[in-house]
Amino acid sequence: MSELSAIKDLLQTLLKTKKLIRMYPENNPMYIKAVNDMYEKFEEAFQQTSGDIAFQIRQYEILFQDEQVYQNPEKSDNLALFFFKDGIRELKFLRGLNKEELEEFLKIISIDEKELVDDDIVTLMWEKDFQNIKYVVDESVLTEDEDYERRATETLMENINSPDELLRVYRAAMESDTVRTPQIAPVTEEDLRALMKEFEKDSAPKLSKLVYIFSEILHQESDKKEFEEILSIIKSVLEYSIKVAEFESAIEILKLIKSAIDDGDIAADIKPHMRKIIEHAGSRAVIKSIGEVIDRIEIEEKIVLEYIEQLERNAIQPLIEILGELKNIRARKIIIDGLALLGRKDMQSLIKGLSDERWYVVRNIVYILRLIGDRRAVEYLLKTIKHPDMRVRREVIKTLGEIKAPQAVTILKDHLNDPDPQIRIATVRALGSIHTESAKRLLLQRINTKDFLHRTLEEKKEYFEVLSSWRDEEVTDFLVKTLKRNSLFNRSKNFENRACAAYALGLMGSKEHLNILKKYIDSGNPLLREYVRNAIMRISGTRMER
Amino acid sequence: MEELKKAIDIISNLAILLRTSQVHDINNVAVTNLIDKVTGLINDFLKEEKVLQIDLVGEFFYANDTRLKYSIEHLLNFDFLSRELKKRNTGTIVFKERIETPEIKTFVKAFITAGFSKDPFNTMQNSLKGLKTITVDRLKKVKEDETLDMRKVVKKTYFNAVSFSKGLINKIKAKEAVNIKKAKRIVESMVDLILEEEQLFLGMTAIKDYDEYTYHHSVNVSVLSIALGQRLGLSKKALNELGIAALFHDIGKVEVPLEILNKPTAFTENEWLIIKKHPQWGVKTLLMLKNPDPLLIRSAIVAFEHHLHYNYTGYPAVRNKREQDLYSRIVTIADQYDAMTSSRVYSRVPLPPDKALSILIERSGTQVDPLILKFFINMVGVYPIGSLVLLNTKDLGIVYQSNPVFPDRPKVRIIMDSTGRRTDQTVDLSEKDEQGRFLRSIIKTLDYTKYKINLAEYLM
Repeated sequence: MSELSAIKDLLQTLLKTKKLIRMYPENNPMYIKAVNDMYEKFEEAFQQTSGDIAFQIRQYEILFQDEQVYQNPEKSDNLALFFFKDGIRELKFLRGLNKEELEEFLKIISIDEKELVDDDIVTLMWEKDFQNIKYVVDESVLTEDEDYERRATETLMENINSPDELLRVYRAAMESDTVRTPQIAPVTEEDLRALMKEFEKDSAPKLSKLVYIFSEILHQESDKKEFEEILSIIKSVLEYSIKVAEFESAIEILKLIKSAIDDGDIAADIKPHMRKIIEHAGSRAVIKSIGEVIDRIEIEEKIVLEYIEQLERNAIQPLIEILGELKNIRARKIIIDGLALLGRKDMQSLIKGLSDERWYVVRNIVYILRLIGDRRAVEYLLKTIKHPDMRVRREVIKTLGEIKAPQAVTILKDHLNDPDPQIRIATVRALGSIHTESAKRLLLQRINTKDFLHRTLEEKKEYFEVLSSWRDEEVTDFLVKTLKRNSLFNRSKNFENRACAAYALGLMGSKEHLNILKKYIDSGNPLLREYVRNAIMRISGTRMER
Repeated sequence: MEELKKAIDIISNLAILLRTSQVHDINNVAVTNLIDKVTGLINDFLKEEKVLQIDLVGEFFYANDTRLKYSIEHLLNFDFLSRELKKRNTGTIVFKERIETPEIKTFVKAFITAGFSKDPFNTMQNSLKGLKTITVDRLKKVKEDETLDMRKVVKKTYFNAVSFSKGLINKIKAKEAVNIKKAKRIVESMVDLILEEEQLFLGMTAIKDYDEYTYHHSVNVSVLSIALGQRLGLSKKALNELGIAALFHDIGKVEVPLEILNKPTAFTENEWLIIKKHPQWGVKTLLMLKNPDPLLIRSAIVAFEHHLHYNYTGYPAVRNKREQDLYSRIVTIADQYDAMTSSRVYSRVPLPPDKALSILIERSGTQVDPLILKFFINMVGVYPIGSLVLLNTKDLGIVYQSNPVFPDRPKVRIIMDSTGRRTDQTVDLSEKDEQGRFLRSIIKTLDYTKYKINLAEYLM
């Protein structure tokens, strides 16, 4: 292959690599292969050429040794223009080019131009300080005023030193006293150590310092317009703190604003503007940004919750919105805990989330209401109990139970007959949690129905276990009666009921029941026998011989 | 990159070896251990590169033609070696093939002996004659025409920055969008040139007759801060950030009414109150330019703190005291030095550089950070660029370039010779005669501000 062909080939590979680098993440095999292939191409090109590879950059073409090796008349996706527009006029790859440098270079040229808001290509290359990739830049793109240098120089040279003045200086110098010059103490090892400490300190984030400056300004400023301008800056810095995941600074800002609101020295007409910052901190835009950050980066939950705790009720709705969008479980948990914090301040806003179209959001809101444990939520939960999704219904039932809402018993009654066994079991447990007389009665009635006999052992066991929590005479009598009850029909199913009664007596743990249980210790029914033995063991604390 | 790190390590250890050899006998275990270490390091390098050529050009070390940029922990060792090589008029050491321990021992002996010789370079070269693997060459002077070309580039970059600074202020006043990308590019150019041609750039800041003080002051503070940051060992990227923060340090003055800013007489109390608000206005102006980013945040901090003082006695008055940012402490020194040595509207007569330095020393520990100031003084030297000096040869001159190795022996541009005739020649005060005596020394410094000396004629 000729030298020129090798260079053309190199540029074609560069264009292809640029696309691949943009397309794949760094750990993707395609990305790794693209970098390796590009590096190999450079090695081949270095072998074909006599020295370093230098490209002349023109607006729409790239030259190598005055021969065109790339041409593109388009304004977009044009490699020549990409370098040219920022002033690069020559790009040189030295023979010592290594893979790390090449990869960094490829990353730079693969950046989407729309993302280059604050830096241009020259700045990015400059910051990398490449040892083997050099470039020549036309600095005239930086000149604001072409004629400034000439004018300034001419003005300076207007007053050229006159020989007479110089002679006067010379004579004065001869006559003047010797001026004492300052002594210079050389830099010592100790100075260097002190400097290293300064560098360590300097690596700390700077946002906190800026917040401190804001606090000083807010306490010094008295001009309303200035105040408003500073507050608008604080607002944008707050957004920035969230974007870069510096929640500590965002918290500092909110605390600063809150303390300023409480500060009697600050004019009252400024305070509504300050409150707007607190509101903004919980706005849809900021909360969305929080969601993006916590979904992407692992951030300590405590710090995000501390931020949410500073927010007002307006944050609840946006938080509910992102709850349904987060992909990361850990992030969802943070928002759930955050909503539990804020929901205490304004449950009505939280309750609106029960109308969300997404079942999983509704389930989360129900869970949050459970965490809050406020009985005022019952009214709304009872409406949600008819939710079409079984997972929501189950969560509501569980929550009603944990909130111990007595008014829920009537509604729960229907769910004891729910076609889904998990709902039924959740209902039984909820009734146990509510623990009212009406709840007990409902359970007893249900056990006494014919239908109950045909429930699964697991479900029956749940009923009896819950029932055992009452530990009163009525329940004891009922359990003893059930244990003793023989039946000619559905014998095996009846044995299940009897076994569950024994199980419940065991859970109640009263030694008074040992005698009655012992009567069935050798029952011919293995299930009853096993449950009775376990109950005795639980009450007496001794192991039974089999 | 790995090879450069190795080269830095070699130079650093070579410096330690030579320093130790000046104190201990060559057979002392401290020296022999270091000889073994340096031999090992060089041979490790030669495995890959075959040749290691260390050059001292100006103030910079090069390894096989690549300039070495070392971190702060190597600073003292590099300074020591640079000083010792210059004393021996030696600019190049070449190691090739494989080095044996006795050869390094011979080199160390030759180096020490040459230190006592009247003709150090030839003494050293003769002592190394029998060696094939280690050779030395004389210190080369930086070519004059190259310097002239660089001077043009420096001048252009300097005025570009001033012109940008002027445009920036005008744009902010007109509430137009400001191009931060351009600011970065301009400061990048300044950083590159300061890293290569610090003295030329410092020379531009020493000219005090510029017409538009405000814009030149911003650029001068930026140049002085970058140069100081370089002495402190900041990375290139950090130097750029520092340079931009310094360029923007007074940006809050856009809010100060021009009639106050240009007032030739003393300020009233009310006017002072307005002037004292410019740090706060700086924060506001910067953070309103665009969405916040680390660069703007750092610049805003510097804008707020640059008059605060090391002991918080400056302004704005703060309720809670938090340590000044490192960049603020650097910019404070650069700002005070440039302000003192400049002719401002409200202070027509500037101070001579050496006087300004003395005042800064008085302010050490109160207004300015003593540690940073120490580095600054070492940077500008006993006789900062622009100082008017009388030599023992009765020549009158202007300090043209400071000398980091011999701070009291800068390069001087002679403007009047011993007969009182006007002349133009540059002399290096570190030059010695055959007997090893310095050819010229400074005996007096003068306050050039008392006379109508136009420094631009000599420094630009």
